[in-house]
Amino acid sequence: MRRVTRVLVVLAATLMIGCDEKLSDLTGPTPDLTPTFSSIQHNIFEAPDSAGRAACTQCHNAVGRLFNGLDLSSAVAYTNLVNVASREKPGVLRVAPGDPDNSYLVHKVEGRPGIVGLRMPFSGPPFLTDGQILVIKRWIELGAKND
Amino acid sequence: MRWMRVVLVGAVLLAAWPQTSAAQNKPTPAPAPADDPDKDPNASQPDFTLIGLPTTLRVPRFSSAFRVTHRFLRPLGAGDFGDLTSDFFGLDSGAQIGLEYRFGLMRGLQVGIHRTSNKTIEFFGQYSLLQQKDHGFGLDVMASIDGTNNFRDSYTPALGVIVSRELGSHGAVYLEPIWVNNSNPLPSEVVDDNDTFVIGVGARLRIRPTVYVVGEILPRVGYDPGVNHASFGIEKRAGGHVFQLNFSNGFGTTMGQLARGGTNNDDWYMGFNISRKFFR
Repeated sequence: MRRVTRVLVVLAATLMIGCDEKLSDLTGPTPDLTPTFSSIQHNIFEAPDSAGRAACTQCHNAVGRLFNGLDLSSAVAYTNLVNVASREKPGVLRVAPGDPDNSYLVHKVEGRPGIVGLRMPFSGPPFLTDGQILVIKRWIELGAKND
Repeated sequence: MRWMRVVLVGAVLLAAWPQTSAAQNKPTPAPAPADDPDKDPNASQPDFTLIGLPTTLRVPRFSSAFRVTHRFLRPLGAGDFGDLTSDFFGLDSGAQIGLEYRFGLMRGLQVGIHRTSNKTIEFFGQYSLLQQKDHGFGLDVMASIDGTNNFRDSYTPALGVIVSRELGSHGAVYLEPIWVNNSNPLPSEVVDDNDTFVIGVGARLRIRPTVYVVGEILPRVGYDPGVNHASFGIEKRAGGHVFQLNFSNGFGTTMGQLARGGTNNDDWYMGFNISRKFFR
């Protein structure tokens, strides 16, 4: 029986070394990015990244020209995004909580066919990486909370 | 050229000398150990795997076995029958190939390594807890871990049990609940399910003295992309070899790959397994 126990311990140890992928490996140029609004605001909207992507607030701010009425400054970004209809494409919500595929923010950063205007960021490439977009989609999927 | 001959003779003598010396010093050989029943041919479980799922066949202590898995990448349903024959049923296409070696570390405990041509390496171990002759069914615990990019990137460990019931010498049926951790290659922060729990169900039926039909399906919950892996085949045992022709809805042969399922139920792929036991 001791032999069996030893084997089971070895098996359990085998499982313990199975580790999850690191989120930072996915998010690349923004290693601290997580699927929360505050993190997206801090790492995507307000800051450029090491790949050379421009910050969204470089254009979408309250000081300069308001691009389609979308100010992404930290004080108002959430209320301007979530459950708010797109001015560029009326009938589609900028962020539809729980539904990333029907969120215009995702359409714009992915550059999907059917968007009005250009893929964002306007100065791209570089655009957001697949990993960064996946994190934004995950935040929306989880309900687009103001967390 | 003479110096070469001298070197050659010297090398031969050098190679031969320790053996001779060892042979002279060798004590009287110990009596042969009692015959290991694990070495006896098992008509109902002729191989260590069904198609992808493990069986409860034990590798005798200090013995080993080798297996080649081969899954052609051409779906059998692509194009018309003429296309299929012109591609020789997929044999002209590329394939995902696996090489496997397993070793009996001690009685009832086997360990092994399996590498597939998409650079996944799987290490596995299996321990025979209960045997049918004593308990009416066989029960093994198994653990494995596979890693992509030559075991450098994404790791997928698995832990499960294999329950078998031999049907006399007519074959065997299997039930294999297995938990596969981190089957989803994405980080857990961006996915709903990171693990897969599969219940492997399989059978091997002997239809001729050395011919079997095999089948397996892996219903699962948790991370379940694609469709549940399913596979069936026919095989022939010839001494220590088993030659198997199989048809699957995916290419998976490691536990992580099996948990990730097949591509879809409209695409079936031909493949084969060849295994060889290095014991009687």
